[in-house]
Amino acid sequence: MDGFDMMDSGTDGPIVTIRKADAMHADFVLSNVDLAFANSIRRIILAEVPTLAIDLVEVIANSSVLPDELLSHRLGLIPLESSNIDEKMLYTRDCDCDGYCERCSVVLTLVAKCTGDQNVTVYARDLAVAAGAQLGNPVLSDEAGKGSIICKLRKGQELNLKCIAKKGIAKEHAKWQPCAAVSFEYDPHNKLKHVDYWYETDAKTEWPKSANAPWEEPPAENEPFDFSAVPTKFYIDVETVGSLQPDEVLRQGIKYLQEKLATVIAGVNKTAGAGAGGANGGGDVNGMDQDGYGGARSPDMGDANGYRNFNDGYVTPYGGAGGGGAGAQTPFGGYGGGGYSNGWP
Amino acid sequence: MPSTKKSVVARSSAGKAAFDTINREKRFRNPPADKTAFPALQEAIRPHVDSWNAVFREGGCLHQAIQEIGEKTVFDRLDGNAETGYGNKLTVRIANYYLGKSMLSSRDKTAMKREIYPAECRERHSSYRGQLQLELHYKVNNGEWQKEYRDCGLLPLMVMGNRCHLENMSPKALVDHKEESEELGGYFVVSGNEKLIRMLIVNRRNYAMAVVRSSYAKRGPSYTNMGVQIRSVRPDQSCMTNVIHYLTDGNITFRFSWRKREYLVPVMMILKALVDTNDREIFEGVVGLDQREDTFLTDRMELLLRTYKVYGLYSRHETLAYLGDKFRIVMQVSPDISDVEVGKLFLRKIVLVNLQDDGDKFRQLLFMIKKLYSLVAGTCAADNVDAAQHQEVLLGGFLYGQILKEKIEEYLLNIRSQIRSDLMGGVKVELNSPQYMRKMLGKVNERIGESLHYFLSTGNLSSPSGLDLQQTTGFTVVAEKLNFYRYISHFRMVHRGSFFAQLKTTTVRKLLPESWGFLCPVHTPDGSPCGLLNHLAHKCHIATTTSDCSSIPPLILTLGVHSAKVLPVPADATLSVQLDGRVLGWCSPRDARRVADTLRFYKVEETHGVPKDLEIGYVPISNGGQYPGIYLFSQEARMIRPVKYIPLDKEDFVGPFEQPFLNIAVTEPEIKNNDSHVEFDPTNILSIVANMTPFSDFNQSPRNMYQCQMGKQTMGTPGTAIRHRTDNKMYILQTGQSPIVRAPLYNTYGLDNFPNGMNAVVAVIAYTGYDMDDAMILNKSAHERGFGYGTVYKTEKYDLAEKSKSKTPVLAFGWGWAAIGADQNALAKYKAMRDKYNGTLDDMDGLPMVGQRVVEGDPIAVYHNMGTGETFFFKYKGSEGAYVEEVRLLGNDVGDSICQAISVKFRITRSPVIGDKFSSRHGQKGVCSQKWPAVDMPFSESGIQPDVIINPHAFPSRMTIGMFVESMAGKAGALHGFAQDSTPFKFNEDHTAVEYFGHQLKEAGYNYYGNEPMYSGITGQEFHADIYLGVVYYQRLRHMVNDKYQVRSTGPVDSRTRQPVKGRKRMGGLRIGEMERDSLLAHGTAFLVQDRLLNCSDYHQTWVCRGCGSFLSTTPTVNGGERRAEVRCRRCAVKASEFDVGKKGYWEDGLGNRYLGGSDTTIVVIPYVLKYLDVELLAMGIQMKYDVSP
Repeated sequence: MDGFDMMDSGTDGPIVTIRKADAMHADFVLSNVDLAFANSIRRIILAEVPTLAIDLVEVIANSSVLPDELLSHRLGLIPLESSNIDEKMLYTRDCDCDGYCERCSVVLTLVAKCTGDQNVTVYARDLAVAAGAQLGNPVLSDEAGKGSIICKLRKGQELNLKCIAKKGIAKEHAKWQPCAAVSFEYDPHNKLKHVDYWYETDAKTEWPKSANAPWEEPPAENEPFDFSAVPTKFYIDVETVGSLQPDEVLRQGIKYLQEKLATVIAGVNKTAGAGAGGANGGGDVNGMDQDGYGGARSPDMGDANGYRNFNDGYVTPYGGAGGGGAGAQTPFGGYGGGGYSNGWP
Repeated sequence: MPSTKKSVVARSSAGKAAFDTINREKRFRNPPADKTAFPALQEAIRPHVDSWNAVFREGGCLHQAIQEIGEKTVFDRLDGNAETGYGNKLTVRIANYYLGKSMLSSRDKTAMKREIYPAECRERHSSYRGQLQLELHYKVNNGEWQKEYRDCGLLPLMVMGNRCHLENMSPKALVDHKEESEELGGYFVVSGNEKLIRMLIVNRRNYAMAVVRSSYAKRGPSYTNMGVQIRSVRPDQSCMTNVIHYLTDGNITFRFSWRKREYLVPVMMILKALVDTNDREIFEGVVGLDQREDTFLTDRMELLLRTYKVYGLYSRHETLAYLGDKFRIVMQVSPDISDVEVGKLFLRKIVLVNLQDDGDKFRQLLFMIKKLYSLVAGTCAADNVDAAQHQEVLLGGFLYGQILKEKIEEYLLNIRSQIRSDLMGGVKVELNSPQYMRKMLGKVNERIGESLHYFLSTGNLSSPSGLDLQQTTGFTVVAEKLNFYRYISHFRMVHRGSFFAQLKTTTVRKLLPESWGFLCPVHTPDGSPCGLLNHLAHKCHIATTTSDCSSIPPLILTLGVHSAKVLPVPADATLSVQLDGRVLGWCSPRDARRVADTLRFYKVEETHGVPKDLEIGYVPISNGGQYPGIYLFSQEARMIRPVKYIPLDKEDFVGPFEQPFLNIAVTEPEIKNNDSHVEFDPTNILSIVANMTPFSDFNQSPRNMYQCQMGKQTMGTPGTAIRHRTDNKMYILQTGQSPIVRAPLYNTYGLDNFPNGMNAVVAVIAYTGYDMDDAMILNKSAHERGFGYGTVYKTEKYDLAEKSKSKTPVLAFGWGWAAIGADQNALAKYKAMRDKYNGTLDDMDGLPMVGQRVVEGDPIAVYHNMGTGETFFFKYKGSEGAYVEEVRLLGNDVGDSICQAISVKFRITRSPVIGDKFSSRHGQKGVCSQKWPAVDMPFSESGIQPDVIINPHAFPSRMTIGMFVESMAGKAGALHGFAQDSTPFKFNEDHTAVEYFGHQLKEAGYNYYGNEPMYSGITGQEFHADIYLGVVYYQRLRHMVNDKYQVRSTGPVDSRTRQPVKGRKRMGGLRIGEMERDSLLAHGTAFLVQDRLLNCSDYHQTWVCRGCGSFLSTTPTVNGGERRAEVRCRRCAVKASEFDVGKKGYWEDGLGNRYLGGSDTTIVVIPYVLKYLDVELLAMGIQMKYDVSP
């Protein structure tokens, strides 16, 4: 709650200090936010920022040593250039087409054949994007610009594949992950005592100082423990796989975090009645499905006479009986008669 | 800082555990054209190949066996040959044999390349065989030997043996012939399977063993449990066990078995038959000069000599004649030879067959008597037959040779019986006519090759003599290529014999110190074969030749040994010196040690003609210990292993017999004053697989055993020539990696060619609860990136010949046709059928299309009746969907028939699912319980998420510290980029593994002890405790839920009881047993019990008569269709007459019998088995009566 208050107050919002940034990395310090927010950012950029990845492979010819499904799996993991994908592409499930079309997919073709005596190595750069596609070029971040190895062909072996790349998120499959790893640290001096370091003789000598330690004041000798302190400064290093720039990953992440929050707020508003939630949140509820979620509800127990159905007895193969309440006989009397029904409304 | 980092790297790469990726890659692309890169692997299977070569080489065991078989004779008993009175004599013998390489049959006239290579046999599901030919000689009376070459069928050949095309091929040539570059051989290809004859433990040859066995007392009245047993082995490796028994009265009998029957002969008779001797010589031979005052011994000797007097046999000649007379029938000898000759044959074939000279036999027998009396007097202990000291290994090749020898002998005997049956059957027998002989030989069973093929494919031994073995089944096993560990283990496996598996006592299973260095103490399965199925230590060899020992007898005489042939033996020369069961001489205890040490020095020095693998077993005099003496062994089948001989600092080979009396230090620093040897490496005692367990010295010992088990069940890389294999089932891990943590032996044995697992980032933490009870959590993203992705290849053979009984093909692959003149309907049906399967089957040939996915019930291939044109399908069986990987069309051996069989290889994808089994290399197995989303996984400060989470509770009770060390080592290795040496026994108290790897971790900026603070993936909060995070090599085991899950609601039932059948294969149910029932009752869930035991089982409604209480007397009425049929009780009804028709209660049964009454019947619910019980009891005349109420 505190974090939101701080954000809303406007005077003391989140502070981002970028320590290092290049095409693959964004190393920054996020401060003045609470833990939940920082972790949400981490989770979103790991799992919910959409990218493009090969999802369907139509195998026209594959005489390589790799079976079709293994080849398809390897193709799926090749990062494809996918900046601004939200503006350029739809999810296939949101598209009107049957199967796939140019609005929700990018077609890449891979045609390779080994004709000489030397083995041919097929690289990611050999994937040809269909003309006119706005994105979907394989990311070639190695020095030679070849990209990852897809497979090797011997004389006479050939590949002829049509790969359909689609938009997706890493929650569904790791191939859509824009980030390799997100390093995340707070409280390098363990002032908050969140972690109780295990040590053989002395924790100070056995535990190496974190690389982020110089960014914070070490605790003074005999400094009293502030038990109400919360982490506010987070050292985050986003490392992408190349399909998106790190800054775009972050911006997209924030966008999707906002969208998710909006969904929650809209949902809360609907159950609690208009106005009650609105005053607090003020989030943008545009485009939210107003019929989305009614409040919490157990399946089939909401209606008034839920459990009473029990009293109707049940049927067994020996004829135990139906509605009349003459259920099977137990030492405690029939199910239908009285017994249980007392306990229920 | 950088300088220290450098030092870390340098220190580790100094070992041989380094990654060898580049070289491996180079070797894969261009296999060496000269010799293998992994001689250690070839060494590992050497016993198998060498034993085959020893049998089939020029002058090998089989040639000797043919000599040993000798001649067989038969008489035609026709025109009385004056000389013998038995008619004409036919003598047959086998003069030689020829075994060819695997070649195409001569009936095939078209092929240019005629060699058949093993790969072809595997692919065709056929056998790798060569033509066996025997050179049969026969002569009539004393005529000239006639030659005849007989084809005796195709004999299975050992791959890489001296009849194999692949012998001595370079890796490159092997790859060209569709083999692995490191093909090892040592097995047979039988019906497409790779079979090997497994090694068996047998008693040490040519050594008289003192045995106390309670079964000895059962041989007859006054027999005691004491005896001396010797397993004598002929140069052709066939053997004969002789036992001398001690009787309560002090007498001794000699026992042997011949054609599975046992015979007992007084030992004196044997002694007297062997040489011309007298009682004094025998007395002095047993009682040494020093023992003349030993009344125990002299009393018994006197008795032995006196009791023999009853036979009244004094000279050698008399004794031989007596023996010959008694054993003439047993030995099945020719009737024309004299009793004395039979007696000599008896001695040659039965008594101490390892020795040729009768004098040697005599002296050895005297020694045995001496040892037996010593055992009885308690001055020596019984030898332990379960100890490796008194054991050797029966090798596959030698066993194969023995069987072959016996089959050849049987063949000669068959010729004899064929002639006899011809004589009896009135066929005109003309031994002098070649026509008759050829015709007769044509009738004799000559299919020796087939009987060996039967032996290999079933493992059953059918032998008239039993080959002196204790079992008749289980000699062969399939060399499964599940992964390379399993494969290589088959060749290093030594079985104690299936006879011992049934034994109730566990003494045979014990790990005894005598096996140190020969049998691996770790590598044995748990459960029923525990301790019986052992594996050779990786440095243990088995001798397959007899070393040249011709210079030993003169040499030892120069060392002060008194020759055995020169009598009398001096009083102090009490220790016998024996070479392979031959008493060479006698030596004083004072000199014995010097003699043995000198021999050993010469042996290691390789001078004085002492062979390097001679076993010099010096048993010193002890107080009631093993019977002393110097026993030299130079023959085949001995286990030997290299150790360093300290005086010369050179390699010495020691055997299990001598080892208990040698002082062998385990490591150099431990060498004490009286140590003569030191181990080259303490890990030499472990098998190949046991050596692959990293840091096994840190683990609790049973865990290492489990790892040896699980390493062999891992889904790994069975090989690289998978394209050319058609194993029934093959498991392949597609994403195998080279382990970061490995022993140098991993590289030595070239195991990087066959990766067996993946390096996984493992966190030891109780995270979600899904890691309880040995479950493990898999990172979903890791899984999606291919962690543990595996494939199963299945091969199915579809054979048309099995479908029809006719000899000429009736069926053919491909589409049939609609019958000529078929009506419109039939044509439409035919067309519809073709259209339906057009997509899945090839339109032209009706064979499956490669790459096609099939599910249960899909057609695999089409075939038709060539006469009628009727079309049939082979359907795909198997509940899992599969892809067609390869289709092979199989012709017959000659190539003169249309295609009658195809072999289809299916590919089944097995990506890891919940319920699949994984394990680390420390006996820590677990089942995947969840594939947890990566964002929810805990992560370290650097953002690393574990691939695998295991629960810390897996450690306290199992004490697999090795896994912690591996985790640290793996992490440090990954951070620095080098492979880590995990050889056990490298660290000690002063130089601990934790310090070593902790230092490396610290250099890389990590916590010294491998812990890291981690954050909850869900909240982002730092965990209260720091987490042990490292890199551990994980194996995926072949046990997968997809092969195991079993569920049914309804399904097949047993026809007799109408209860659900059992078994997963048959879609059966799971049994609710007594215990399950009990717990349901205890829960008070009586209805559940009824539901399970009745409603969901054999619920049945039946009529019962209330009156008499019987199910069985009820019968339906037949009323001519006027009224609804009812059920009445015939027992309660009375016979009615025609006048009763129409009366109340009148009814008729199906036969028209008329009844009145019996209408008090009703329907009850019973379990169907009750009715079955009723009927069964009725059959015994017992009636069951039921009270039905209300």
